[in-house]
Amino acid sequence: MWYGNFREQTINLQLPEEKYRLLAFLERQGLALDGNVEYAVAVMDGEKMAASGALDGRVLKCIAVDEAYKNSGLSAKVVSHLISEAYEKQRTHLFVYTKPENKAIFSELGFYAIAEVPSKVVLMENRPDGIKRYIETLAKENGSKADSAAVVVNCNPFTLGHRYLIEYAASRCQRLHVFVLWEDRSSFPAEIRYRLVKEGTRHLSNVVLHQGKDYIISDATFPSYFIKTYQELVETHAKLDLEIFSRYIAPALGIRKRFVGEEPYCKVTAAYNAIMKALLPVHGIEVEVVPRKLADGEAISASRVRELIRSEKLQEVRTLVPETTYSFLLSEEAQEIIRQIRSGSRRH
Amino acid sequence: MKIHQAGIAGTLESSDITIHIEENEGKGIEIQLKSTVLNQFGNQIRHVIQETLQELGITDVLVRATDKGALDCTIRARLLTAVSRATHSSCFPWEVK
Repeated sequence: MWYGNFREQTINLQLPEEKYRLLAFLERQGLALDGNVEYAVAVMDGEKMAASGALDGRVLKCIAVDEAYKNSGLSAKVVSHLISEAYEKQRTHLFVYTKPENKAIFSELGFYAIAEVPSKVVLMENRPDGIKRYIETLAKENGSKADSAAVVVNCNPFTLGHRYLIEYAASRCQRLHVFVLWEDRSSFPAEIRYRLVKEGTRHLSNVVLHQGKDYIISDATFPSYFIKTYQELVETHAKLDLEIFSRYIAPALGIRKRFVGEEPYCKVTAAYNAIMKALLPVHGIEVEVVPRKLADGEAISASRVRELIRSEKLQEVRTLVPETTYSFLLSEEAQEIIRQIRSGSRRH
Repeated sequence: MKIHQAGIAGTLESSDITIHIEENEGKGIEIQLKSTVLNQFGNQIRHVIQETLQELGITDVLVRATDKGALDCTIRARLLTAVSRATHSSCFPWEVK
């Protein structure tokens, strides 16, 4: 094989023909094209696709090499290409989710394992001390570890239900760590969600707010392309996220308990909660499921709030959210978000 | 010269090295090296990186390198390019400002 024949070619995912080509290639490698991909590249041998890779924010995805081209250094070519593309976009802290059998390949390409779900997935990052530095900073900023608990929330947007959960939890521990998921797949952007939680919990002096970045994995950003069934996807995501939480985050902050809102509607969240109840106690972390706060006999949920916004019943939202969230919804800043919810372009 | 931004140069292909540099204010020169020939040439690679940084007058920097058996001249070239990208100075020769 003559190495010089290979050329790297960006794939324009807007063009159905190019997208289909990548899709067909990935399918031959037993992979799917992940729904969230912003940039893709292929290594071509003449007109034949030999390898592929993609980028989604700071996550490298869909890296595959055709069987016939294994051991020709093509994965190095693809990963080099994706890294320099990411750096050009000022993204220097990169991640990859891969099957454990590929760990050695990515290790040689400068990635370091953070956590693993045996035979399912391993999460790696491109720095040897990324998570270590993160938990050192967490521990340093929080001093004493006395009797701490945690909740992880998305708050899309912050409702009276979230406030009830946080108030309930905060009254049962000395310090409550609240992690707001940091992803941009929600109707309300991360900065806004965080701000509304902050404003709505100002009266609670023992609440510490955190941006749930990088090491708190949202199911919205967990890649799906190499996992076969939906059930397996939900389970694997939960196990990986909880592994990182119990192995790194909880010990750094002295977290002994996690509170979670009961989930009557969303199956994914309900499954996540069930796995959490099984796994965290093994690591000495107690889990308490808090029943939802009701309004007019119905559980308050952010999806109900978004539904009311969609059907132009903003008035009714008033009884479901704190004053701080409501006044935000009336502000100029919120109008673009409301427009987007009404146009129905997002699921969440 | 001071490093405020991140910079990268090189590839992960055989005989090359990827060098990433970033700010490390007040913490000196820190080198995180991964190499396919770490046992044989790890010290030599570190030495070349140290020496090149010294020539540039850089005292505080975090260097993360993934080496695939690069020669000394390649290591130097990749490091110089990473520095010039991080500092936005494309000047040649690489004089210390």
